[in-house]
Amino acid sequence: MSTDDAPGAAGAIEEPPPTAPQTVLMSVLRVLGALAIPVVGFGVLALTFNYLKNADANRFLVVGVAIVVGVGGVFFLYWGMNRVVEFLPDRYHEGVRPFIFVGPALVILAVFLIYPVINTILVSLKDSLGEKFVGLDNYKFVFSDESMLRSIRNTFGWIVIVPALGVSIGLAFATLADRLRRGEAFAKSMIFLPMAISFAGASIVWKLIYSFRPQGFGSNIGLLNGIMIGLGQNPVSWLDQQPWNNLLLMVIMVWMQTGFAMVVLSAAIKSIPDEILEAARIDGANELQVFRRIIVPTILPTIAVVTTYMVINAMKVFDIVFVMGSPETRGTEVIAERMIHWFFIANNDGRGAAIAVVLFVAVIPVMLFNIRRFREEEAIR
Amino acid sequence: MERRSTRGHGQKGRRRAMRKFRMLAIPVVIVMIAAACSKKAEDTTDSGQAANKGTVNVLNALEPEENAVLQGIADAQINGKVDYEVTFEQSGDFEQQVQIRAEGGTLDVILLPQPGAVQAQAAGGKAVSLEDMGFDMGALEDTFGSYFLSLGEYNGKHYGIPTNINLKSMVWYPKDDFDKAGYTVPTTWDEMIALSDKIKADGGTPWCVGFESESATGWPATDWMEDIMLATAGTETYTKWIKHEIPFNDPAVQHAGELFGDVMFAPGYVLGGADQTPAIAFGDAPGPMFQDPPGCWLHRQASFITAFFPKDAEAGVDYDWFPFPAIDQQGTLFAGELAVAFSNRPEVKDFLEKFMSVDVQCAMGSEPGSSRISPNVNVGPECYPNPILAGASEVLTKALAGEGAAGFDASDQMPPEVGSGSFWTEMMTYMQDGPDSLPTVLQKIEDSWPAS
Repeated sequence: MSTDDAPGAAGAIEEPPPTAPQTVLMSVLRVLGALAIPVVGFGVLALTFNYLKNADANRFLVVGVAIVVGVGGVFFLYWGMNRVVEFLPDRYHEGVRPFIFVGPALVILAVFLIYPVINTILVSLKDSLGEKFVGLDNYKFVFSDESMLRSIRNTFGWIVIVPALGVSIGLAFATLADRLRRGEAFAKSMIFLPMAISFAGASIVWKLIYSFRPQGFGSNIGLLNGIMIGLGQNPVSWLDQQPWNNLLLMVIMVWMQTGFAMVVLSAAIKSIPDEILEAARIDGANELQVFRRIIVPTILPTIAVVTTYMVINAMKVFDIVFVMGSPETRGTEVIAERMIHWFFIANNDGRGAAIAVVLFVAVIPVMLFNIRRFREEEAIR
Repeated sequence: MERRSTRGHGQKGRRRAMRKFRMLAIPVVIVMIAAACSKKAEDTTDSGQAANKGTVNVLNALEPEENAVLQGIADAQINGKVDYEVTFEQSGDFEQQVQIRAEGGTLDVILLPQPGAVQAQAAGGKAVSLEDMGFDMGALEDTFGSYFLSLGEYNGKHYGIPTNINLKSMVWYPKDDFDKAGYTVPTTWDEMIALSDKIKADGGTPWCVGFESESATGWPATDWMEDIMLATAGTETYTKWIKHEIPFNDPAVQHAGELFGDVMFAPGYVLGGADQTPAIAFGDAPGPMFQDPPGCWLHRQASFITAFFPKDAEAGVDYDWFPFPAIDQQGTLFAGELAVAFSNRPEVKDFLEKFMSVDVQCAMGSEPGSSRISPNVNVGPECYPNPILAGASEVLTKALAGEGAAGFDASDQMPPEVGSGSFWTEMMTYMQDGPDSLPTVLQKIEDSWPAS
């Protein structure tokens, strides 16, 4: 950076302050510079894609060439643009150059993030086919429909209960596993294992655990009902027990994510210097006090990270509820599941988009918290 | 600091280097433009040609077994005789897949069980109308009847070719045990209630009912309502009901709901009780009928349900069916499937023509693994070795000819908010909350009807 600064700064000293047309020209050049690489890049990509779509070339060759040309091409584009900037009069060099490098990122962000957000907000104000504007009707629906209100209630339950259970169980395991003389790795692997299963797969597994057949429709094959029958009780239709069935679905996510919490927290616990723990013990602190006053405060930033991760995951949950089936009849709707329902099953783009916007707005506080915490950490460093 | 003192020299060096690169940069830009143009030129020549891609994919939401049967028919009758390959693709999340692949343009034909969905796809602008594909509409009307064809009409153009029809007004019973017990097939609603009472008095459970169907839980209940609506209110009121010309909580619908409740909530009538029915998979529901002694004696479901019967159950021996009994008149509820094209290529049209021809359809009728009935009116009952399908085919032909009150599945024609939404879920609320909830339930469905 400092080497680049030098000529630019010198130029400013040698030359008179920029006139108005120069300032305008500078802005134009900056915009052009920012757009040049994405426009050329996407243009070439689109042409190449069209060409490859119709070509009967060897697939492996195509993939090979695509990788080499793609990666090389991007490098080449930046390098070329950098050279082009050098043709400009000196006074513009350093003002324009940064925009060439930041530009593509801004353009990609705008195309793939900002535009969809604006478009979703627009669609959420339109009717089911996205043709006519209907004002805030879709939002009225979101906050008045019984099923939607239940989904908001349930999602709130998910973001409170899942991280609470997941983090506390994970923390307990991490602390206790740390004390194991042998088999720590094995114990941890067992708890981490569910993390490797997809949400849909895990839901199928748990569907079998909760499985229920009313009398006359064959024997009960579910694990839980097996236990109930073993204890001489009547089998229970677990997934129809409102509102507890929500809790039963949350258990699936806790089962899957506790392992993640445990691994991350365990790493944090292991990084606490032994001297601090020893000092505390020598000063007469018992193990509970060590845990509460030393371990937890030290790993608090890690706990915050894990909790945020789980809150965001719980907010987005869809697969589990969808795979377990009949969300409306069972009252297990969640916001993301409603969004898919209205977009794709009921074919109502307006309502789907309105739900998406609500979900988006709901995620914002979590993100703000995350950013603020991140800044605080940066400040400490 | 050192740099600053040698700045003058450094800048001169940069200028010289720049001149050198200028020589390089110009050819580079020219090469880039040339490459872009040459690719563009090749492109235009490519897209000018007619594109027979050599494949036709048919996305559907059928059971995997039925999909396999269709693939088998296509392999035997079409593939190999033509210059393209037909692939039937079954998807459990059909609704989502159609949306995604229609957007992505990788869809040729879909099989839609809901006329409302045909119109929605037409409105979506991705579907190709039969007129645009060059079909002779007069010939199609002769083949399928104008009523069935009109179900896929949108803005004056037709988008759906009927590919399947099935009879929904069917009540199944375990024939051998039924005869042994001395029961007789009822022809009226009152006779059916009397039979249910008799079965109960004999220590049996008359009805097996199950409404669970993953993301479509509740649809079998809407069939019950529709059957009763047709048999009580008749076709005219039924059509008004579909078009929302009468409210959903109209006395006619209320009356149908009450009759439905008379079966569902009568103590001892339904195996497991009405409140369990939303948790019983519709495919598992008829299972107990085949136990010995039968766990239940009556099961109301469309003709496709035989696919869920035990493999060794024999039609006419282990089970048989009777038409849903008349109440104020005989009602015939049917449903069907319409094929919608998403790409206008010659092989797609050719496939649709071949697939719906009498030869292929008749061959499908004798397929043991299939319970499909052809909507092609030229396919006679002799094409169905299975007596059940032959019988249903006869009933359907009569109904389409105008005998009694015939109607296409109502929920399939209502707006998706209702027909694939509140009608399903509110009927389940009715099952769980009991007879007193009927007015509230109907009011809620009425409230959910989208303003047009």
